[in-house]
Amino acid sequence: MGKRIEPFNFKQCVSIVKSTGKHAKNLRELRKRISQVSDESIYHHVYQYFLKGHILEYTNDFAHWAGEHLEESALSERLTSIDPYTGEYTDEKSLVKRLASTEPYTLDSVNKVRKELIREIDSFLQAFPEPHDVVKGNEFYFNETVSLVFPVGVKTRNLAEFLVAIEHIDAGSIYYHFYDSRVRLGEGMVDDFSRWIEHGLGKKKLADRIRGIDPFMHSIESIRTHIREIVEKYVRADMEGVAD
Amino acid sequence: MIKEYSGIAPKGDILLIQKLCEKLEGKSFLHVNSTREGGGVAEILHRMIPLLQDLGINAKWEVINGDAKFYDFTKKTHNALQGNEEIFTKSMWDHHYEVNKANMKKLSLGADAVLIHDPQPAPLINFRSASSKKRNKVWIWRCHIDVANPASNVWTNMKKYVKNYDAAIFSVAKFCKSLPIDEFIVTPSIDPLSDKNIELSEQEINAVAEKYSIPRDKHILLQVSRFDKFKDPIGVINAYKIVKKYNDCRLILAGSPATDDPEGEAILNEVKNYAGNDPDIIIMLLPPDCHRDINAIQRMSDVILQKSIKEGFGLTVSEAMWKEKPVIGGAVGGIPLQIVHGVTGFVVHSVEGAAFRIRQYLNNPEMARRMGQRGKEYVRNNFLLTRQIRDYLSLWYSLKNKGKNVIEL
Repeated sequence: MGKRIEPFNFKQCVSIVKSTGKHAKNLRELRKRISQVSDESIYHHVYQYFLKGHILEYTNDFAHWAGEHLEESALSERLTSIDPYTGEYTDEKSLVKRLASTEPYTLDSVNKVRKELIREIDSFLQAFPEPHDVVKGNEFYFNETVSLVFPVGVKTRNLAEFLVAIEHIDAGSIYYHFYDSRVRLGEGMVDDFSRWIEHGLGKKKLADRIRGIDPFMHSIESIRTHIREIVEKYVRADMEGVAD
Repeated sequence: MIKEYSGIAPKGDILLIQKLCEKLEGKSFLHVNSTREGGGVAEILHRMIPLLQDLGINAKWEVINGDAKFYDFTKKTHNALQGNEEIFTKSMWDHHYEVNKANMKKLSLGADAVLIHDPQPAPLINFRSASSKKRNKVWIWRCHIDVANPASNVWTNMKKYVKNYDAAIFSVAKFCKSLPIDEFIVTPSIDPLSDKNIELSEQEINAVAEKYSIPRDKHILLQVSRFDKFKDPIGVINAYKIVKKYNDCRLILAGSPATDDPEGEAILNEVKNYAGNDPDIIIMLLPPDCHRDINAIQRMSDVILQKSIKEGFGLTVSEAMWKEKPVIGGAVGGIPLQIVHGVTGFVVHSVEGAAFRIRQYLNNPEMARRMGQRGKEYVRNNFLLTRQIRDYLSLWYSLKNKGKNVIEL
């Protein structure tokens, strides 16, 4: 008998927003607060920005605020370029260790992002040392979240089932498995989908193609489209007997 | 009842509501406010209470009663919390407390979770039983008002009560205060199944057009709001006048008179005078309960505006977006949270800006259609009643699991 394939169990994450009570009305205050707030707050304003589902010219709340309210385009561009999802795929040993951990999330990478934000702000403040205040009411409010994770009741055992599921699951589920996994599992980790495709289905090349989708460059809906197209192409080739 | 939202609300929201109700099954969830009819809070509770009961939660709703002096005071409190200067005396605050004390004797306040809505019943926290505190029961204060810039002293007095709760909920981050308790942000919502928002047949829309003698031979621009200077009806007329030079269209200003605003009558007359004899400006004074007619008028419109210059949350924007209408809103209050500029509509800062965006919509129907579709999806994911119920339950559950940032269900 062959090895039993563990099905892919789709989950979703819903977050409720909590105020930290901290806010900033100019860049110096923003810098000070960024250095003080919890990891969860940085995580919310940078990583969870992608959950909003619309990627415009910004990729995190700080860049958004710098562009829209501080009206500092150069700073906004620099903050937008901070990619929280960069990282090399970690070896299997680290992954096993991480999965065995009881901590739900590792926020190691969050502190790197925090340092990067401060570095960009400091560099801007060196050139423009007297920051101006934003219009009253447009201050930056630091929030954090409490996340509830739950299975959505969809399990897939093969690529055909996976294709149907990926088409119909909520965007929140794609976020959880494609973006959130990288933080949940630790720096350098990958998305849950490609892990299952590689280790559950044994299809390394297909997994690599999915890993080739840059999470930083897409909205959730465009991630859905890319995954569907890649898997669809593979399934079609498989049916024709020409898949890798 | 939750099944009625299936296919309308996001699947994940419905699923999470069901899962949390399983976890909280049989527990009691009490809501207390100051009116059974009228206003957004009562509207939501009418729908939410039976829905939660249907899912196994012992949901209850109590209403506090007071005399004219009490309501006069709470109206003043409401205005002062929104920034208007009002005169308060110690005896007024004492009366507020005493009325709540009298209500406490009549109401049944024992519940696993108690959600107190707005300032009127806020002092009830002082009558919470000692056992309620010990037995992992939660009391939450829900503020539906824009308290970003309250008048002096009013918040100091309210805070004396609010700080005694386990948590507070505000609608927007900037409304949050410096409090020693957890503060959550839960945006308000619209009910897609209410008369205001439910899908209507073309036949019904036509019937409403006939009923109010609205010709449908030109593009219709619409603003639905009470006649209040902060909704800037004159600014809307000015924007229409600019557009009219380029695109033939008709403007409808529809709303109910602001009965609690002494300036309401004067504003309405000013608007009527300003509109003059232009046959293409229709000013409609509608009773506050004709939700289905407003729904139809929104659905027959081509562009919907909410050009406010001061706003609480401005849910009329979400109502318009839910109907796939291209929207234009003033950059105030909760409007920018609903309109992602250039994606789900346009946020404007001036009459000229409003006129420019109206012209863009009228000249690019394909773009208007795309924005409308995106707007509906945005509302589906963020501003439906199911999301608000999901948030209330999640918040309650998170308070029972205090200290955890990630909760696996």
